[in-house]
Amino acid sequence: MIKEEIEGTPKFVLNILSRICPPELYEGIEGDLLEQFEVDEKEFGISKAKRKFIINSIRFLHPSIILRNKFSFDLINTMMLGNYFKVAVRNIQKRKLYSFINAFGLSIGIAFCMLIYLFIQDEKSFDQFHENRADIYRIEEKSFDTWQHDSADPYRKSAWIQTGVKQALKDELPEVIKATRYNHGEKAVVHFGEKVFTESLAYVDDDFFTMFSFKLLKGNPDKLFKNKSDVVITPSIAQKYFGDEDPMGKTIQIDLEKETSFIVAGVIESHPANSSLQYDILLPQENRWGYERNLAQWGNFNTPTFVQLRSDADLVSFKANLDKLTDKYMSDNLKKWREEATVPIPAEAKMMEYQFTRLPDWHLKTEIDWDKVSDPKYSMILGGIALLILLIACINYVSLALTTSASRRIEVGIRKVVGAQRNQLMYQFGFESLLLAFISMCIGIGLVILFLPSFNQFTSKDIELTSMNLLQMTMTSTVLMIVVGLVAGSYPSLFLSRFKPALVLKGGFTSRLQAGFTKPLVVLQFALSAFLIISSVIMYRQMNYITTKNLGYNKDQIMVIPTHSGWNIEADRLVQRFRDRAQQEPLIESIAGTSSSFNQGYSRYGYKIKDEQKSAYVYAADPYYIPTMRIELVQGRNFDASIANDSSGVIVNESLVRDMKWTDPLNEYLNWKEDSVGLGSPVIGVVKDYHFLSLERDFEPMFLSMNKSNVGYLTTMLVKVSSADLPAAVEKVKSIWKELNPNKPFDYSFLDEDVAKQYASYQRWMSIMGLSTGFAILISCLGLFGLSGINAVNRTKEIGIRKVMGAELSNIFVLLNRQYIWLSLMAYALAIPFSWYIMNKWLSDFQFKITMGWDLFMISVLVGLTIALLTVSYHTIKAAFINPAETLKYE
Amino acid sequence: MSKEYLGEFEELVLTMVLILQEDAYGNAIVNEIKTRLDRDSNLSAVHVTLYRLEDKGYVKSSMGGATNARGGRRKRIFTITNAGLALLRSMKEARTDLWKMMPQLKFNY
Repeated sequence: MIKEEIEGTPKFVLNILSRICPPELYEGIEGDLLEQFEVDEKEFGISKAKRKFIINSIRFLHPSIILRNKFSFDLINTMMLGNYFKVAVRNIQKRKLYSFINAFGLSIGIAFCMLIYLFIQDEKSFDQFHENRADIYRIEEKSFDTWQHDSADPYRKSAWIQTGVKQALKDELPEVIKATRYNHGEKAVVHFGEKVFTESLAYVDDDFFTMFSFKLLKGNPDKLFKNKSDVVITPSIAQKYFGDEDPMGKTIQIDLEKETSFIVAGVIESHPANSSLQYDILLPQENRWGYERNLAQWGNFNTPTFVQLRSDADLVSFKANLDKLTDKYMSDNLKKWREEATVPIPAEAKMMEYQFTRLPDWHLKTEIDWDKVSDPKYSMILGGIALLILLIACINYVSLALTTSASRRIEVGIRKVVGAQRNQLMYQFGFESLLLAFISMCIGIGLVILFLPSFNQFTSKDIELTSMNLLQMTMTSTVLMIVVGLVAGSYPSLFLSRFKPALVLKGGFTSRLQAGFTKPLVVLQFALSAFLIISSVIMYRQMNYITTKNLGYNKDQIMVIPTHSGWNIEADRLVQRFRDRAQQEPLIESIAGTSSSFNQGYSRYGYKIKDEQKSAYVYAADPYYIPTMRIELVQGRNFDASIANDSSGVIVNESLVRDMKWTDPLNEYLNWKEDSVGLGSPVIGVVKDYHFLSLERDFEPMFLSMNKSNVGYLTTMLVKVSSADLPAAVEKVKSIWKELNPNKPFDYSFLDEDVAKQYASYQRWMSIMGLSTGFAILISCLGLFGLSGINAVNRTKEIGIRKVMGAELSNIFVLLNRQYIWLSLMAYALAIPFSWYIMNKWLSDFQFKITMGWDLFMISVLVGLTIALLTVSYHTIKAAFINPAETLKYE
Repeated sequence: MSKEYLGEFEELVLTMVLILQEDAYGNAIVNEIKTRLDRDSNLSAVHVTLYRLEDKGYVKSSMGGATNARGGRRKRIFTITNAGLALLRSMKEARTDLWKMMPQLKFNY
C-alpha cells in the first residue's frame, strides 16, 4: 500500500474501503479515486477535492461491490478455528483462577439478566390470554376529591363503582354486549359435612363465564348464575371438599350474613398466575351483603365492573354515552355533593365521570388501585441491577485480559511472524471471549434453573420454566452472550493484536504493562459496587429502625383470631365467652376484642364540625383493649364495663386533639355522627399516639369507641399469651376455641408478623438489594484480586531490588496497596452523591425514617475499603515475602 | 438474442468501453460520458456497471502498467468481448428496424 505519496488524501477512508472492497478490484478503484482527486484538486482546490473524494469513496460502499467479496478470509478462519479452539482451551486451563473469575462473574450476570427477562415476560403476559381482551374494559370512576383535597391532582380515580351501573350499561348503552361485576377477597367460612375452612369468595355475574377465557370444566356457561344459589368452584376446592367425588349438584353451606346453601353448578379452571382476576369460589352478585339496598344507591361505590364492547364500537361515542348515563342517574347526587363540598370546586371541574381501561392495561396502570397492579418501575430497577452486574463482570474480563496480556505477547509475535494478519488475531481473541461467554451462558442457564424458586419468592411471582420460555430464554441469552463476548472481547483483541512482533520477540521488554485503560474500568467497577454497598447499608438501617421502633403498643405474643361470627352482637358474646373460659388459664394473660387488628384494614369516618371537613380512623374496642395492648393513656380513663354510659364515649389519640385544637379534651365532645340534637360523644380519655398505621404514614386522628351499631362489633379477638411456653399456649387457645366453637375454623396469626407484613415489599427489596450487592462485591473483588495479583507479579523485580536496597516489608506493602486505596476512594467519591440522591428518593416513602448522616457513608466507605484491602493484600503480602534472590537471580 | 438485453446505462458504458479502446477504465469512462453527452455519472456507478458487464461476459479486464499519476496505482483496463460487440450490434439493428417501422412523419407548413 503506497498511500503516503498522496499528500492530504484522507487515508482512513481508503482504509475502510480497502477492507470492504474485494482485493482484486481494490487497486483499480483506489487508483480511479485518487486520479479523480488529483483532477478535482486542480479544479476546485484541496478542501473541496477532499470532500468530493470522501463522497465518492462512500459511494463505493455499494452492495454489488461488497457482495463481490469471495469471503476468502472466511476459509482461512475455518481452517484456523480448530487451532483457536485448542489454544483457547489451553489458556483457560492454564490460568484456572482467571478463567474462573471471568466465567463466574459473567455467568452470574447472564443469569440475572435472564431472570429479569423472565420477570418482564411475565409482566407483559399479564391478562393476555383472554380471547376478548381487545374488547373488554374496566369502568372506572373519576371524581373530584373533596375528602383528601390535593390541589395538584384534585381527582380521585377508583375502579369501584355503583352496583346498579352494570345493568344500566347493559340495557342502555348500544356498545355494551356483556357486563359483569366482580368483588373479590371477602372471606367466609364454608362447610361441607365435617369439612370447615375459611375461603375467599368472588362475586360475579353470569356474563363473567363467557366474557373471559377461563375454561369452564363442568357446567353450562349459558345457564350458570341464572339461579341465585349457584356456586362455581375451582378443581382444587372441589378436591378439598369432595375428594374424588363428582362435585356437580352437591350442596355446600357458606356463612354469609347467615348460613346459606349453595349448589355446585360448575367447575372452572383455576386462574393462571398472570391473571388480574382471581377466584376460588364464585358466587352470584345477588348474594352480596346489602345487594338490594346498594342497587338503588347511586352514591355508594362498591363494586368493580367490566364490560365487553362490540368489536366495532366507537370509543368516543361510548364515552359520550357514559356521560349521559352519569347525567341520568347521578345529577341529583352530584349537585348535592357540589353544594356540600367544603373545598372550593372550580366550575369547569366535573364532580364525577366514568372512564375506562382496556383489559391488557390493568396490570401496569398504577394510578388505579387494583389487585396485583404492578409498577413498571420495578422491572426497570431489577433490569438496571442485572445490567450493573453484567457490566461489572464485563469490566473484569476486559481488565484481566489486558493485564494478563504479557503472557500472550510471545504467542502474538510468533503468530504474526508466521504470517497471521492483524484481523486474524482479532478474530482469535474475539473467538476466545465468545467461547468464555458461551461457557458462562451454559452455567448461567443452570443458575437460572437453580435460583428460579427463590427468585419467585423475592418477586412474589409464579414463573415456571416451560419448554417454550426455556427456548426463548436460550435465544435471548445467546444474543446476550454474543453481545457480552463482543463488548468484553473487542478492546482486549484490539490491544493484544497491536503488538509489534520484532519488539516482542527480541525479548528486551520488561513485563510492566501500559494498560492505562484498566484503571478507569476498575474505578467504575468499584463505584458501582460502592453504590450498592451504600444503598444496602441505608436500607438495612431503615428496616432495622422500622422493625425495632417503639410503636406505642406491645405487639409481642399477641394472637390475632377472627371471630367468624359476622357483623353482629354474636361476635362480642364470643369474645366474652372466651374470656370467661380462659380466665383461669395461666398461659393466657388477657383477651381483648376489636373491630380490626393492626394491618387488617381500618374504617374511617368523615364528619363536618363547624363547617370544616374532618376525618378520623375509628376502631371498636372493649375495656380490655388498652391494657392488653399496653397503650399509654395520657389523660382521662379507660372504658369501664360497669359504666353503661361509656358505650357512647370515645377515647381519642393526641393527633385528634391537635386536629380539633382542643385545650382541655376531657371536657369536649366529638360530634362524629353529626348529631344535630346532642353534643356528640363525650371524650373520656386520651391515648398517646401509637402507630396503628404503617410507618409509611404519619400519625393521624383516631378514636376508639364501644358503640356497637355505629362503629362495629368485635370481629377480631386479640389474645395475649404468656411468653413462657409459646407452643403450649397456642395449643391451649386452640383447644379452648374448639371447645367453645366446634364448627368455626380456628384461623390465627401473630400480631408482630402481621405488622411486619406491612413492610414485606420493602423487606423483599432489601433482600434483592442485599443479594445483588453481595454478588457485585464478590465479582468486583474477584476482579480486584486478579488485578492485584498481576500487578504484584509485574513488579516482582522492582520489589526484589527494593528489598536488596533495604526496604522494609511495610514499605512494600504500602507501595503496592497505595494505588488501590486511591482507586477505591475515587470510586466512592463518584458513588456517594449518586447513592445519596437515589436513597433520598427511597426514604421519602416513609414518614418515619432515619437521617442519612455522614456516619452511614463512613461505614460504607470503611466496609468497602476493608474488603478491597483484604482482597489485594493476599498478593501484596505474597509478593513482599519473596526472597529477592529468587526473583533477581535470572538477571 | 431475445433474452439478453442491457439497461440504458449498461449499454452506454459498454459503448464507451468500445470507443475508448485500450484506455477504457473507470475514470476515463466517466469523463467521456461527461464530454460527449454532457451527462454526470458517478464513479462508483460506472465501476459497478463495468463489473456487472464483466460478469455477463461482455467485457473483460486486465491491469494496465503503473504510471506516476494516480499514486502509482495501476488502472483496470476493460476491453469489449466478441459477445459484447455482437450484443451492441444486434441492439443497434433491432433499434434501426424499429425506426424503419415508424410511420413517416409529415410536417405541414
